[in-house]
Amino acid sequence: MNIVLRKLLRSCQKSTELIDKQFFVPLTVTEKVQLTAHKAICKTCNSYEKQSELIDAVLMKWFNTNKSILTLDTAKKYDIINTIKEL
Amino acid sequence: MSEITQNNKIVLEKWVKQFSDELFSWALYKTSSKETAEDLVQETFLAAFRKLDTFQGKSQPKTWLFSILNNKVIDYYRSSAKTTKQNFSLTESSGVAITEGLFNQYGCWKTNDVNPIWDQEEELLDNPDFNNTLEICMEELPTKWQLAITSKYLTQKNATEICQELEITVSNYWQIVHRAKLLLKKCLDIKWVY
Repeated sequence: MNIVLRKLLRSCQKSTELIDKQFFVPLTVTEKVQLTAHKAICKTCNSYEKQSELIDAVLMKWFNTNKSILTLDTAKKYDIINTIKEL
Repeated sequence: MSEITQNNKIVLEKWVKQFSDELFSWALYKTSSKETAEDLVQETFLAAFRKLDTFQGKSQPKTWLFSILNNKVIDYYRSSAKTTKQNFSLTESSGVAITEGLFNQYGCWKTNDVNPIWDQEEELLDNPDFNNTLEICMEELPTKWQLAITSKYLTQKNATEICQELEITVSNYWQIVHRAKLLLKKCLDIKWVY
């Protein structure tokens, strides 16, 4: 592959990094262009992005069934703290 | 009472306030029982108190507490003779080796085939087989990676706070999540039979 083209497209390994990075940090303009170009020609990375999103969606479903973050009862917390104090 | 014991109690009290919600959410998710989850969290802190001298700060308190809790969960399933889940988690270095191994020296996927299981994305979210397999795959992740990938759902803490607790930088954080996802993808490709 032409060296310039390879630079533009990045490797699959780098592209999958960008795919997961964008959930946490906004990509730079260059990174966005590189990723879009790469995905346009790479079926495997394209589906990796969907897989990554799906894993996220499942985890979200697992932990947020009640739509609120679960907490341990305050009474139970003090129960634990007091048990330790008495040891 | 010795001064060390007294100090240990102060440390534990701080950890209960700081981490018990997350430990509880995790235990509840693992056992689906509020009472059991509460007991396991309590046992975790008591064990941590007894073993505190062996905790030398090699890992972060949160990671350490979660590894104790995971062992308690395993014991719980063993003693109650419920479904024997396969329980081993990879070390971080073998996790890294496996994810590196997905790509060749040029950074290309070693295999470009997309497993057909991924095609019916929409239904997968509610597919019990898929959910079970993902759960098995989660357990194989190194503890720290499990925490990294679930932290944002277990807690209201933001990325910066999560990173402080796991003692990693933000860029380290998404890299760990990235590796965890690659490992999950590989595991699902292999284990989930459509």
